[in-house]
Amino acid sequence: MEIANLPISPSHRAKLLSAGYTTFSSLSAVSPSQLARDLNIALQEASDILKVVSDITRSESLHGGNAILKGAQTAWDMLSEEQMQKRITTGCDDLDTILGGGIHCKEVTEVGGVPGIGKTQLGIQLAVNVQIPVEYGGLGGKAVYIDTEGSFMVERAYQVAEGCIMDTLDKFGHHRKVILDCQEQMQPNSFLANIFYFRICSYTEQIAVINYLQKFLAEQKDVKIIIIDSVTFHFRQDFDDLALRTRVLCGMSLKLMELTKTYNLAVVLLNQVTTKFTEGSFQLTLALGDSWSHACTNRVILYWNGNERHAYIDKSPSLRSASAPFSVTSKGIRNATSQCKRVRMM
Amino acid sequence: MIEDWHQPWLNGVELLEDSNHNKHFLPTGYEGIDVLLGGGLCEGQLTEMVGPSSSGKTQVCLYSAALVADKHFGVVMFVDTCNSFSPKRIACIVDQLSSSFSGEAKERRLKRVMSNIFCHSVFDIFALLDVLHQLEFKLKQQVKSGDTKICLLIIDSISSLLTPVLGGKGSEGRLLMVSAGIILKKLANEYNISVLVTNHMVGGEGGILKPALGESWKSIPHVRLQLTRDQGSNICNVSILKHTFMATGRTAKFVIHSRSCSVQDGRGR
Repeated sequence: MEIANLPISPSHRAKLLSAGYTTFSSLSAVSPSQLARDLNIALQEASDILKVVSDITRSESLHGGNAILKGAQTAWDMLSEEQMQKRITTGCDDLDTILGGGIHCKEVTEVGGVPGIGKTQLGIQLAVNVQIPVEYGGLGGKAVYIDTEGSFMVERAYQVAEGCIMDTLDKFGHHRKVILDCQEQMQPNSFLANIFYFRICSYTEQIAVINYLQKFLAEQKDVKIIIIDSVTFHFRQDFDDLALRTRVLCGMSLKLMELTKTYNLAVVLLNQVTTKFTEGSFQLTLALGDSWSHACTNRVILYWNGNERHAYIDKSPSLRSASAPFSVTSKGIRNATSQCKRVRMM
Repeated sequence: MIEDWHQPWLNGVELLEDSNHNKHFLPTGYEGIDVLLGGGLCEGQLTEMVGPSSSGKTQVCLYSAALVADKHFGVVMFVDTCNSFSPKRIACIVDQLSSSFSGEAKERRLKRVMSNIFCHSVFDIFALLDVLHQLEFKLKQQVKSGDTKICLLIIDSISSLLTPVLGGKGSEGRLLMVSAGIILKKLANEYNISVLVTNHMVGGEGGILKPALGESWKSIPHVRLQLTRDQGSNICNVSILKHTFMATGRTAKFVIHSRSCSVQDGRGR
C-alpha cells in the first residue's frame, strides 16, 4: 500500500510526498520529532501519522487463520446467525408477512409515503414494539427516536404503548408465571422511559447526532432500533450546493449502515415524497433523488388504495415485491379491517 | 537491475494462447447477460454493472456468487457496502439449483456452497483499499500453498463508497477512485480473478439518468453493462455500454425469479 492511500488528511499527504517520503519503509526508521521538522508540522500530528503507518504495517504481518480476510465471514455462518435473529413486529400481521417476519436488525429500511399515510404512526409503533420483552417473543430492547419535524406526540406514544401491552398480555394470557415476572416491565411508563428522544432543528444537528450515536450506542448496549423521522426534511431546503448535499447524505447513509452492522440493530428512515416529471407525466417519488435511493437496504412505500392504506416493498435483496393492507387504529398499527373508512375532516 | 523490476514481455501469440486457455468465463446465471458478455464474467477483467435503484444489480451479484461457488470454480469474495448481502437469498438460489437432490444431500451441498462464499462489510473507501491490500497479500500466499483460490470478487456497491469523497475542492476523491480501479485491475490480471462492481445512476442533463462516478471512472472497467427494470415487473433489460470484443448497444432481457423456497430451519430458533 502506498502513501497515497493512507487515511490521513490531504495536506499531510502532500507534505509527506514533497518531503520525499514515498514508501512505508522510509517512514519506519524516522522519529516523530524528525518527521515534524521535515514536514514543518506539530509534533503531535507527526506522531499520529507514524501511529497510523505502524498500525497498518502491524496488521499486514498478522495474517493467517481460516478466514480469507480478518473480519470476513462465510455465508454459511451468516445464514445461521440470520435465522436466529428475531424480527421487530409492526403490529399488523400482513405487513409482517411481506417483510419476512418484521423489520430486520442489521438492515436499513426506508419507509416513504404521502403526508398523512401513517409514517410517524409506524415509527412510534416500532419504537414501542421493539421493547416487548423476550418472554413474549419480542426483542426486549430500547429505541432511539430522532425527530426532525416535531411530529412525535408523547400522548400518542402512551396510547400505543398501552394498546401494545394489552394485546400482548391477551395473546399470552395463559402463561401466568411469565406475566408475573414481567409485571414491572409491562407498564406504559417504562415503555416510554426506554425511548431515547432527540429533537433536531437543522441539518448540522442531524449530522452531529448521527456522529454522536456511535459513542451513545457503545454505552447503551440495549438499543435495538433507531428511527429517524424524517431523514430528508432538513436537506430539502436551504441547500445551495447540491454536490455537497449528495456527499453529506452519502456519508450519513454509510455511517448508518455501519451502525446497524456493528451494533446489530435496525435503522428505520422515514422519508417524504415529491413529484417528478418523467416520461411526460408527473409521478410521486421519494425525496432526495436518485443518489439517496441506494442508501437503504430495503424500501417500503406506503400508499392509499381507495380508502385503505397499503404498504408495498419497493426494493429488497431478499424479499419479493408484494403489498399488504394495514390500518391505523387508536391502539396503533393493526391489521386492516374490511370496512375501514378514511375519516374526512370538513 | 532494471531487468528485475519490469514485467516480462509477451508477444501476441502468447497472449492469445493465454486468453484461450486460462481466461475462463464465469457464468452469471442469467443467460441473457451471459450472451451479452460473450460467455460470462471474464477472468482477468473488471466488469461494472450500472443501474438505477432496484434494477436487479444486487440480484445478479448474488446469483453469480451462488452459481460460481456451486460449480466449484473457486472461492467467492463478496464485499458489501450497503448490507444487501442476503444469506437467505443465496440459500434460496442454491435450493433452486439443487432441486434434483433431496434432504441430506441438499443440506450438505448448501453447506459446501455457502462455506465458499465470504462476505466482508466495508463502509469507507480507506477500509476498502485496506481489504484489497490484504487480499493481494493472501493471494500471493495462496499461489505458493495451492489452496482453493478466489476466482470472483464482487463489490456491491463501489459507488456508495466513492460518492462521499468525490467532488469538492481537492482531487483526493478522484485519486482514491483511480487507485481503487488500478488495484482491482491488477488483482484481476495477476491472479486471474474476475471482478464485478456495481454503480448507481445520477441525474444528468435534461433529467436523463447517467452513471455515477463521472468521466474519470468511465475508462477504468473493461466491460460496462447498464440495467433497467420496468416498473412493477420482474423483467430487466441489459445493454452494453462498453465491451472489449462485443458491439456496444446490444441489449438483452432477463427475469428475476422470486420463487419462495423452503430452506430447512433445523438450526434451532
